[in-house]
Amino acid sequence: MRVGADSRRCLALCAAAFLFLLTSACDRDQTESRYRFTAMGTLVEITIFDFPSAAADAAAVQVESLFLDLQQRWDPWADGALGQVNEVVSSGGTGIPDDDLADLLSRASRISRDSGGAFDPAVGALVRLWGFYDAEAMPDRPPSPGAIQETLDRNLPLTRLWDEDARVLTGHEGTTIDLGAFAKGEAVDRAIALLEGLGVSDAIVNAGGDLRAIGRHGDRPWRIGVREPRDAGVLAAIEVTGDESVFTSGDYERYFEFEGRRYHHVLDPRTGYPTLGLSSVTVIGHDAASTDAASTALMVAGPQHWPTVASALDLRQVMVVENDGSIQMSRDMRPRVKLLRDKPPEVMIRDIP
Amino acid sequence: MRLVRPGDMVVFVLAAGLVGASYAYFWGPRAEGDTAVISVGHRPVAEISLLEDATVPVEGLIGDSVLQVEGGRIRFIDSPCPGRYCIHMGWIDRTGEVAACLPNGVVVEIRGGHREFDAINL
Repeated sequence: MRVGADSRRCLALCAAAFLFLLTSACDRDQTESRYRFTAMGTLVEITIFDFPSAAADAAAVQVESLFLDLQQRWDPWADGALGQVNEVVSSGGTGIPDDDLADLLSRASRISRDSGGAFDPAVGALVRLWGFYDAEAMPDRPPSPGAIQETLDRNLPLTRLWDEDARVLTGHEGTTIDLGAFAKGEAVDRAIALLEGLGVSDAIVNAGGDLRAIGRHGDRPWRIGVREPRDAGVLAAIEVTGDESVFTSGDYERYFEFEGRRYHHVLDPRTGYPTLGLSSVTVIGHDAASTDAASTALMVAGPQHWPTVASALDLRQVMVVENDGSIQMSRDMRPRVKLLRDKPPEVMIRDIP
Repeated sequence: MRLVRPGDMVVFVLAAGLVGASYAYFWGPRAEGDTAVISVGHRPVAEISLLEDATVPVEGLIGDSVLQVEGGRIRFIDSPCPGRYCIHMGWIDRTGEVAACLPNGVVVEIRGGHREFDAINL
């Protein structure tokens, strides 16, 4: 068989191109490491790109140890640093947290003040009354209105309990500090710092869907999907590069139903009841802890007032989904979000003052 | 002289293969996965097809979880956990999506398709 010179050249080119495609596809798979573990009542996934796989696994194991340590220290109801302070404070004594916890309380207190109380970690007693204090507890009915009011009357906000200069918590009977998702965000931040210290520059730390991403996925940005709050599936895609946190608070995962009504776990510290009006809030911010607290605060603020609270918290990129499925976004968020519904929804653009 | 020689046929076949591979590479296969890997306590125990509808019991750490496969999707329909968060998670079908019953240690991950997202915000 005789093959012409042109054909041979073409054959060689085709074969080379084919091999390139195959090898480049293989490369993409080989340089990504994923590691998963359970901590803080959620599934945590560490994704590391373009790093030797053995070193990536070793780094992820260190992140797991970090999470488990922080879980023990910041559990409101266990005997770690926060649990011990809570025990003293809730029985009327003065709580003196260690330096690490004191720093955390100072930051949480400032966010609480800036949000006008929409975010308030001093709702531990309320969270317990509703039965949402255990990640796997299942309340079967809401508390009585009288019990809710009594708890609200007894409670003081963190901004009044925490003295940032003296670094002490004023004792107040029945009060419990529950740092909740703020603590989870802080754990994500510390995990990112740990990975960066080990030389990792492209990674995602994803704690139950709330995440911080650094770097990129090779030659493209990280691709984040945002869940549709009412139906299964993905509502939107967001691309992330550099160093950003993407957090979503919603009413669709931790909830129970009683007499045909849904009661979810994001409680409004001012009314004592689950927040109304919004199914989910997605915030893109820098550090995970404050982005986490912000997403909770905006759920509390609701469909009318979220831009005001976003402004107070210095947020620029926010998307909210109302209970009827309609979508609002801040002006800066709109170009970041690709909506994936079959019928593209109308989006109300809100200006953050 | 023959218009098409055997060597040319080889080139045509390879070219066709290249077009197909390029299409797959640039336009990507579907994001829905073909299988679900089920783990208990982070140890894989089964990989099941999503192409056949089925009800799949899984023995977990504290009891049996039950998974339902239908129309290429999978979800928890029962589990011994008190919170029921795994059931609230609903259907998953995109490659890389995960549903988990943490108290029972059962984790389900979609595999086999093209991973559209590096992470899903819940």
